[in-house]
Amino acid sequence: VTPSEGARDEPGRELEMESVLALRGLVLLRDSVEWEGRSLLKALIRKAALGGEQVHILGCEVSEEEFREGFDSSISSRLVYHDLFRDPLNWSRTGEALPGGPLGALQAMCKRAGPGPVTMALDSLSWLLLRLPCAALCQALCALGRQHACPGGGPAVEPVRVLGLLHGELHGPGPQGALSSLAQAEVTLSGTAGQASAHILCRRPRQRPSHETLWFSILPDLSLDLQGGPPLERHPVPHLPLVDPTTHLTFNLHLSKREREAKDSLTLPFQFSSEKQQALLRSGPGQAAGHIFYEPDAYDDLDPEDPDDDLDV
Amino acid sequence: MATVATCGSGAGSPGSMVAAGSKNNVTSFQRRGPKASGSDSSYSRLVSIPGTRPSVRNGQLLVSTGLPALDQLLGGGLAVGTVLLIEEDKYNIYSSLLFKYFLAEGIINGHTLLVASAKEDPADILQELPAPLLDDNGKKDFDEDMRNIKTSDSNIKMKIAWRYQLLPQMEAGPVSSSRFGHYYDASKKMPQELIEASKWHGFFSPEKSSSTLNIEPCSLTHGYIKLLQFIQNIIYEEGFDGSNPQRKQENILRIGIQNLGSPLWGDDVCCTENCDDSHSLTKFLYVLRGLLRTSLSACIITMPTHLIQNKAIIARVTNLSDTVVGLESFIGSDRETNPLYKDYHGLIHIRQIPRLNNLIYDVSNVKDLAFKLKRKLFTIETDLGYSSI
Repeated sequence: VTPSEGARDEPGRELEMESVLALRGLVLLRDSVEWEGRSLLKALIRKAALGGEQVHILGCEVSEEEFREGFDSSISSRLVYHDLFRDPLNWSRTGEALPGGPLGALQAMCKRAGPGPVTMALDSLSWLLLRLPCAALCQALCALGRQHACPGGGPAVEPVRVLGLLHGELHGPGPQGALSSLAQAEVTLSGTAGQASAHILCRRPRQRPSHETLWFSILPDLSLDLQGGPPLERHPVPHLPLVDPTTHLTFNLHLSKREREAKDSLTLPFQFSSEKQQALLRSGPGQAAGHIFYEPDAYDDLDPEDPDDDLDV
Repeated sequence: MATVATCGSGAGSPGSMVAAGSKNNVTSFQRRGPKASGSDSSYSRLVSIPGTRPSVRNGQLLVSTGLPALDQLLGGGLAVGTVLLIEEDKYNIYSSLLFKYFLAEGIINGHTLLVASAKEDPADILQELPAPLLDDNGKKDFDEDMRNIKTSDSNIKMKIAWRYQLLPQMEAGPVSSSRFGHYYDASKKMPQELIEASKWHGFFSPEKSSSTLNIEPCSLTHGYIKLLQFIQNIIYEEGFDGSNPQRKQENILRIGIQNLGSPLWGDDVCCTENCDDSHSLTKFLYVLRGLLRTSLSACIITMPTHLIQNKAIIARVTNLSDTVVGLESFIGSDRETNPLYKDYHGLIHIRQIPRLNNLIYDVSNVKDLAFKLKRKLFTIETDLGYSSI
């Protein structure tokens, strides 16, 4: 990748990434064992916090200290952390743990959010999916987006974004399909040759979904660095050649130029063109070319009682 | 059939009725008013419900699905008292469009609507309905669209069978004599005054079932029970099942249920293969069909069958519905780049057509159907490709 190419692409890619990240609703971050997604989640949280939004985090998989690593102090103080990792089943009963289990924790998170744009990060959705029934989780996620939008019953003014980290290998196609049908955007992490890529699928309502693949890397201070791809071709060659149904036929479907001209100039019998009209008119008084000579042979039956005789034809 | 033609005409306002009556002065039969005189049998009383017409094959009362092309494929329309199940395409773009066409047709004809959804508020769904193409300027736009379709596709002029050139590629057009199906402009929204003038009931699942948080151990999912009770109440209170003989003007109830079977209804048939309430969805459809058969209503259901993991459930659901139409869009699949399908947006599969008071099916001969969504028109055509692909 030449530096000029990277520089040319960057402003456009920045805008694309911004427009993608500006989506509201549920954004799924699918990661896998090879390409982990928590750093991308943290990078998006940092971006949201820098943008002045309120950020609420539900931490289930890692401890709070480990999650807050990498954020500088100004951002870290702005993050509101709800900790489900330390005491998920509320055994200590000190009153610090969140009541109501994971579902209660989700609802409490929503209630604590004040007015203004809110980003909620769920670390991780997989943890919740393994402990809650899928249908209940889907309903809760939809309610998250809605509840904040109209607390007093007014029209939805403040958009809510829910970032959910989903580990792709832990779940079967059923729950994954159910969650992706709810999501406004899905970011699937993969990569080649040491370079991480994010394949973003945006489902805008009533429009065709758009695909985008961005290559990125996360810097130590958790900022996103969008790059051009590795020095391989960006667009994969379509491995299926376009189907041409006219090959391998036993008859010839193609016409040569001369044959086509001959075909076009042919006058069909039922087409009444001006030449035909002239020909008909000309042959009327002429009668020179069209004489019919009839000689009845032994097999012809000249019936004197032909019923058609009295027809005036 | 002048009587049927005039009572099938549009919004049912008295002005249009009088105008239509005066145009048909060629016959010696004059209609006195919007309803035939009371000596007629109840059959003609039912026929005079606006927006319905009897089927030409067996006299079954039909309503339009909102898409005249689909009406043709279903044998004239959707029979009153039956369920139209639409298997959603992967990104739920075209199936929600068909859902909206159905509801918009109900508003134009003055039917009562019942909209149930677990994802969107029914009031928001109604705001998004497409605007109808009216006769005067609508016909111009329609002709323009048809001309565009014809000039782009038929570059080869037919020389031998030149009379077939003059036939339109799609048979239906905005026929002015009988306004059974209407055309809609998907790019414009239905005018607000039409929506407000219509009568509709909304069922938004999260609101209705938020009262009880504990899951009751019964056979039907909680959301489904609430919905069935809601539908039953509306049918009974508004008299669609004929239990209230005081009602003078009979009307059709159009029920629309969106995304049935998705996890937002509380049903996990889309999430796992062996779900706890595997019979919940099928029981719902069975009870719903019973409610519909005893009332003057028609129902459209969109279901994300591509998410259902257990294929046996899809087969059961198909058997329990009356008309099943599957949509398969080309977005994201490798058929998008296939040159045979380049004019179309997806395939439409008619999976099942009901046998109502009949011994044979009313199936059309064409099996390969594709649809495309032009600027204003949703057309269904036979796809001219090779069916082996």
